[in-house]
Amino acid sequence: MPDAPPANAPAPAPARKPGSPPPATLNAALAGRGAGGAPLAELRARARDAYDALELPRWRRSGFWQTSFQELDLAALAPIERAPDPALPSILDSADSAGVLVQRDASVVHVALDRELAEQGVILCSLEQAADEHAELFERYYLRRLPLDRHKLEAASAAFWSGGAFLYVPPGLRVEKPFQIVYEIAESGSAQYAHTLAIGDHGSDLRLRHYGVAAAEIASDALHAGQFELYLEDGARCRLAQLTDWGEGAVSDCSTSVVEVGRDAYCHWLPALLGGHLIRHHYELAVAGAGGDMAFRGLLFSEGEEHLDVFAVDLHETGPSGGDVHWRGAATGSSRASFEGLIQINPGAQQTHTYLQFHSMMLSDAAKLDAIPSVLVSADDVSASHGGTVGELDETLIFYMQTRGLSRPQAVRVIVEGFFEPLIVQLDDAALEHQIRERIGAKLAAAQDDIERYALAR
Amino acid sequence: MATSLEIRNLHVRTEDREILRGVDLIVRRGELHALMGPNGSGKSTLANTIMGHPGYEVTDGEILFDGENITELAPHERAKLGLFLAFQYPVAIPGVSVANFLRLAINAQREEPIKVKEFGQQLRHAVQLLDVDEGFTSRHLNDGFSGGEKKRAEVLQMAMLKPQIAVLDETDSGLDIDALRTVAEGVKKLHDEQKLGALIITHYQRILDYIRPEFVHIMLDGRIVMEGGNELVDRLEAEGYDRIREEVASRA
Repeated sequence: MPDAPPANAPAPAPARKPGSPPPATLNAALAGRGAGGAPLAELRARARDAYDALELPRWRRSGFWQTSFQELDLAALAPIERAPDPALPSILDSADSAGVLVQRDASVVHVALDRELAEQGVILCSLEQAADEHAELFERYYLRRLPLDRHKLEAASAAFWSGGAFLYVPPGLRVEKPFQIVYEIAESGSAQYAHTLAIGDHGSDLRLRHYGVAAAEIASDALHAGQFELYLEDGARCRLAQLTDWGEGAVSDCSTSVVEVGRDAYCHWLPALLGGHLIRHHYELAVAGAGGDMAFRGLLFSEGEEHLDVFAVDLHETGPSGGDVHWRGAATGSSRASFEGLIQINPGAQQTHTYLQFHSMMLSDAAKLDAIPSVLVSADDVSASHGGTVGELDETLIFYMQTRGLSRPQAVRVIVEGFFEPLIVQLDDAALEHQIRERIGAKLAAAQDDIERYALAR
Repeated sequence: MATSLEIRNLHVRTEDREILRGVDLIVRRGELHALMGPNGSGKSTLANTIMGHPGYEVTDGEILFDGENITELAPHERAKLGLFLAFQYPVAIPGVSVANFLRLAINAQREEPIKVKEFGQQLRHAVQLLDVDEGFTSRHLNDGFSGGEKKRAEVLQMAMLKPQIAVLDETDSGLDIDALRTVAEGVKKLHDEQKLGALIITHYQRILDYIRPEFVHIMLDGRIVMEGGNELVDRLEAEGYDRIREEVASRA
């Protein structure tokens, strides 16, 4: 076990004048260089130093609002260890799985891997175990693309992670069934420092479902600070879905995910952000090898008082390469959501073709949903563009469905599901599609009064 | 007595003006009625008000379905009673296929969800009736449909939902002659097979050449000013609305 963070750490001395607002940062374009390549103990020590020196992060957002974790009382949070538990979280579809890993709070409580796959060289284990037993793979990939010191919560995750998930699929192996990795928060006061490292070796083909869920409604503060890295070597293919749904409780989540796509490799990546008190996710999909291609999908739905901040990067380091970023978001209640999408094409990434689109649907006049696309191109033989739409509920459409016998809430659900459907159907995973549709339906049911009010107000 | 839709002394206004000024009309199950009138006479307002569109305010009079006052019912409750409106401008539902939408609509009217097999049989039957190909039902409803496809989709929904009384709001507008014949034959078959009662709103006589309604009503300026049988259609064709307007004016 790594050093646990001090339960009652003294607040770092303020580096600013009394009374002046704490500094806010804009999104650094990229996660930056990976910090890896050193022994784990040294990386943890460096992260610990950064943790001690840094303040809790705050990001300036469009308009007049910001995403701030500075209200978080870290001293009131601590990692909670859990005993092994063969009972699976309800969200898991165990019948149809290549392998399952469950981390509850600070401990991996369950790991199961298809025996045949294990014999073929697949590895699925806790990241702690991988650091010991698969040291060569661990050192080659761990933090290859992730820094550890951009802000205090990133440093905390790199310094204090425990349990963690490690998945390795060997060269040429094609796995039809999905691997499923779950991070579950079971209790208020839990600080979950998470780290997933997944590798699809040359020419392999895999599916990965990655969940962040709460076991029950978390009544007072809990934290998930996670890092996720997936490396797809040359010719590898992966369908990655990350479903984040911390429910209606007080879970804050500040995480970074990177996917690296090698030569002629392909990734279909869909994060679905469907619930959480305060979420800030940085996603980065890097096409690092010629011929690499990706479809980067995402959906977000905020309700109530939720605050959701997404920064998604479509990075092309070499060409020819392809990119296709398509996110959709809906907001209701008095929630705040922001999607910032960046296309970055580095010098030399010629013959890159990419497109970024974000479509939003407003379901409440008190909600706010911003889309901030940007394009940074440093090569001249490329195409990069972005587009998007802003929509509201169409009353004519609702009346139309009502005349067919659907109640107003049913009609609204059809519209919102239809809005997300172009992305959901591409998951090509019936069980996951069902989970997402159900969750969208549940959120709509919870927000029904808000949606009614908004419709009547117009 | 057959199920009936009865409209009594209906006055309706929108935000800025009164559109219907005392409409009386009875449509019984199994009867075919035509409602004709020039643009702006209030035909679509009547259709929308019958279904309970929230943009129209009933200031006087009432709408009865099978003797029950439904003037205050929500649109979906009217639909569940057996009323249907085929839209003049059907709207697209992105992301929802024709078949899935039909299943939702059918299930909205039932206690138990319809069995997959039963639904499939009904859908195949309706598809043949409307002369559309099988792929039609997996397309997103009205999304990118041609004018003719939209109107066929309206009649397809009507065939599946089996209303007792349907209002067809200018279902004939914008159709070429083949589409018009298909749609008209669809309505006639529903009338023959399901005893559908229909109020067919149009301002051309064209669709009425295929569906010979027994009752014809002419609407001018928010009132039904003349009623009769099929001969009224021929008279309108020959004389136009202006003659009728003059006649009504001289009567007053």
